[in-house]
Parts: sequence; C-alpha cells; structure tokens
Amino acid sequence: MAEKKELSFEENLEKLETIVKKLESGEIPLDDAINEFNEAMKLAKKCDEKLKKAEETITKLVNKDGELIDFKIEE
Amino acid sequence: MNDKYITVSQLTRYIKYKIDTDVNLNEVFLKGEISNFKAHSRGHYYFTLKDEESRINAIMFSSSTKKIKFIPTDGMKVLVTGKISVFEATGAYQIYINDMLEDGIGNLYIAYEQLKKKLEQEGLFSHEHKKPIPKIPNRIGVITAPTGAAIKDIISTIKRRWPLSEIILFPALVQGEEAALDIVKQIKLSEEYSLDTLIVGRGGGSIEDLWPFNEEIVARAVYECSIPVISAVGHEIDFTICDFVADLRAPTPTGAAEMAVPQMSDVITYLNQLQIRSNKAIQNKIAILNQKLLQITNRYIFTNPITIYQSKEISFDNLIERLKYGAINLLHIKEKHFTNIKNSYILKSPYQLIDKKANKYLQTISKLETLSPLLTLKRGYIIARKDNKTLTSVKSIRKGDKLDLQFSDGNIKTEVI
Repeated sequence: MAEKKELSFEENLEKLETIVKKLESGEIPLDDAINEFNEAMKLAKKCDEKLKKAEETITKLVNKDGELIDFKIEE
Repeated sequence: MNDKYITVSQLTRYIKYKIDTDVNLNEVFLKGEISNFKAHSRGHYYFTLKDEESRINAIMFSSSTKKIKFIPTDGMKVLVTGKISVFEATGAYQIYINDMLEDGIGNLYIAYEQLKKKLEQEGLFSHEHKKPIPKIPNRIGVITAPTGAAIKDIISTIKRRWPLSEIILFPALVQGEEAALDIVKQIKLSEEYSLDTLIVGRGGGSIEDLWPFNEEIVARAVYECSIPVISAVGHEIDFTICDFVADLRAPTPTGAAEMAVPQMSDVITYLNQLQIRSNKAIQNKIAILNQKLLQITNRYIFTNPITIYQSKEISFDNLIERLKYGAINLLHIKEKHFTNIKNSYILKSPYQLIDKKANKYLQTISKLETLSPLLTLKRGYIIARKDNKTLTSVKSIRKGDKLDLQFSDGNIKTEVI
C-alpha cells in the first residue's frame, strides 16, 4: 500500500497552478509575491526532477494472497 | 360498366393501405434464414428470409445496417424486427428491417436491454454520479486478464505516455461463467490499494465473450466503487452495461490508458508555461511597484524635503502664539474680575451700610409718629378725660365735671360750666 509521504506530482502541479494564478492576479503584497514566486520555482523544480527521474513504469500484480509482486508482460 | 374495374395501382395502394394500418404488421419479430443476400454499395441490404415452407423479401436500409455488429451471410439464422409493407412497383409485400441479431444470442440481447433499462431507471447511469478522472494519477489499477492484448496495450500505452504512474494489475477472468464474480471480487479488493484510477475491461470478442461486463453484479460493483472507473470493454462498437455505469467509457483498452494518463510532452510544455507565467507575473508586479515608487518619489515633498520642516515650523509658531495670547487673556479676565470686586460699593464705604440701617430706623420711627395721637394733638386737637377716661361724646359730660385736657405740650384741669 502506498504511503504518501511527499506530495504527488499532480498535487505539486496543482499547487503550482494555484500560485501562478495568485501571482497573476497581482493582488498580493510584494513580499508575499516574492515568497510565492520562490515557492513556485521550487515546485516547478520538484516536478521537473520527478519527470527526469521517471524510469520504467512500475508494474505489479496482486496475487491470490493480496501481495504485490513484480509483473512482466510476456512479449 | 367500366366503373366496376379498378386499376392495378389502385388495388396495390389499397392492399398497401390495409397492411400499413394493421398494428400487428407494424412491428413484427421474425426469425428465419438469410438467402440471396446482397449488400448494396450505398449500405442497404437486400435479402430473403425463409424457413422450410415460406419466404419473404427483406430490406434493411443503411441507417439500420450501421448498427448491427456482424456481416450477414447466406444461411445465417437471424432474429429481425421490422414492419411489413408493400413495394408498389412490384406489388410484393416485404419486411423493412430495423434491427437484426444472430439467432441464439437473442436471449442475451433481451436480458441486456432489460438490465440496461432497469439500471437506468435506478439512476446508475446518471451524470451526477460520475466521478472525475484524475489528470495525473500516481497509481492505476487494472482489472483484466493477465495475458492477452488488453493488458499489453494498457501497459505499453501508459509506459509511453506517462511512465511516472504505477500500474497494479488485478488479474481476473474476463469471460465465462465465473468471470463476473471474479471481476466483482477484484473491484472490491482494488479499493485497498490507494488507487487513483481503476481501469476495468478486456479486449474484443463475441457478445458472449463480453457478457460478464453486462452482468448486474459487475455493474453494481463498478457503481459502488469509490475509485474513478474507466470502462474499456471490447471495441469501439461494443457497448456494455459496465460502460454505462463507469465514470468514463473508453472505446478500447488502449483508449482507456490514454484517458488515464497525460502525455509526458504535454505536461512538460504546461510546466514550462507555468514557469514563464510566474516569471511574467512577478516581473509585472515589480514593474508596477517601481512605477508607483517613481510616482511617489517624484512628488514635491520628496524633491523639496525642507517643506516638511517648514510647515511644521509654521504650525509650531502658531501654537506658541496661541498659547501666549491665551495666557495673557486669562490674566486679563482674572484681573478685571478682581478689580470689579475691589471696586464694589460695599468694600469701598462700609459705613454706608450702617447709614442705610440708620435711615431705615428713622423711617420706621417717622411712620410710628404718623400713627401716634400726639401728632394729632400738635395740629390743635386735644384729648379730654374724665376720671382718667377719654371722653368721646358730650353725653357723658355734665355741668361741674372736672376734666383733664391734654394738649400736645402739656395738661390742664378745667371745669364744665
């Protein structure tokens, strides 16, 4: 079972979207805007790193005992 | 004489009218075997339906032939639905078919229609029950056979588009008697694996092969599943009950994988756009603030800062001035008040107060004098008394009485003669 310690790619992307929209509204004070901007850059970097690290898709099979085992499709 | 005879077309029209208005012939369920099958280039089918003893011409227009999922051939046993009418040019009655099934699967078809109607009425297909499919899922569950084209297509498509997602396969029988129960069991099990999206499906096959996905228990399990479900059963043309109940219907297993994950390149482009947008936004913000700052610093007060000091100085002077006048004024008022007191009459001549009292005394005395009889005497009156009694009438006086007469300035004794 997955333990979600860190935010998923989608959650990071959603946060980034929210910040960009907030920045674009222009309604936040400069100090906050700069903080948000830094946060946006961090999030973008995180997403970027995740994309770069993306390797082979992990494929598992749930066996009769409900355990996850590696699954390879026979070519 | 000729009036008795009608034309062929009149007769034909009359027969056509009779047939067309007969309710029994308006919707006919007919079974038979196909022969003389011809598919017209425009999509219409022309053939004959027959059994051992009879035959009827059949026509199926392209609007209806598009819906059927098999190619009819001579000798094929079929179940058709249609209406009987007359083709006036040949005077032949024929059946105009709007639906055709291979015989033998007819019962399945009826079961399908009945279940579809029932679940639709219960609201299992309604849009408000549809869950949105996550755009970028972490974990995708797949319920299908562990071998075969479906799982292969799903895995390769996801791998190609979005390798970040994890795929968890829940192997299930996808055809045969036990398939429906197996699929239901795996749908329930999948809920325990923190899935973002669940794909349920199989590759193409005959209607019997796809049948488990038309079973009520499968439909209900899909409906009750808390994970957003993409249904991917068979080919584009196959619609199963599972498709209607699922949150999203995919035409094929590959299609399901495409709907489940984004294309990596699209996400990268989007991510870049977001970065550009935040850069632009912050630059805008700074530019606007810069402009504001410039406007403020250009104001008179900043270019001539001494004016701040000057204006303060003026108001300070004003205050001092007011303070000074205020104090002097107050002094004046008090002084005047004091002088007034000092100059008051009483303080200046206290004797007058005594004089006033003395005067009043004298006035009182004088008043008393006015009332006194002595004053009257002074004006020439006298008081006569006899034996110390004041006389007020001559009747009380006799000859020889000795009277006392009081004048204002003394008394005398006298005798009445």
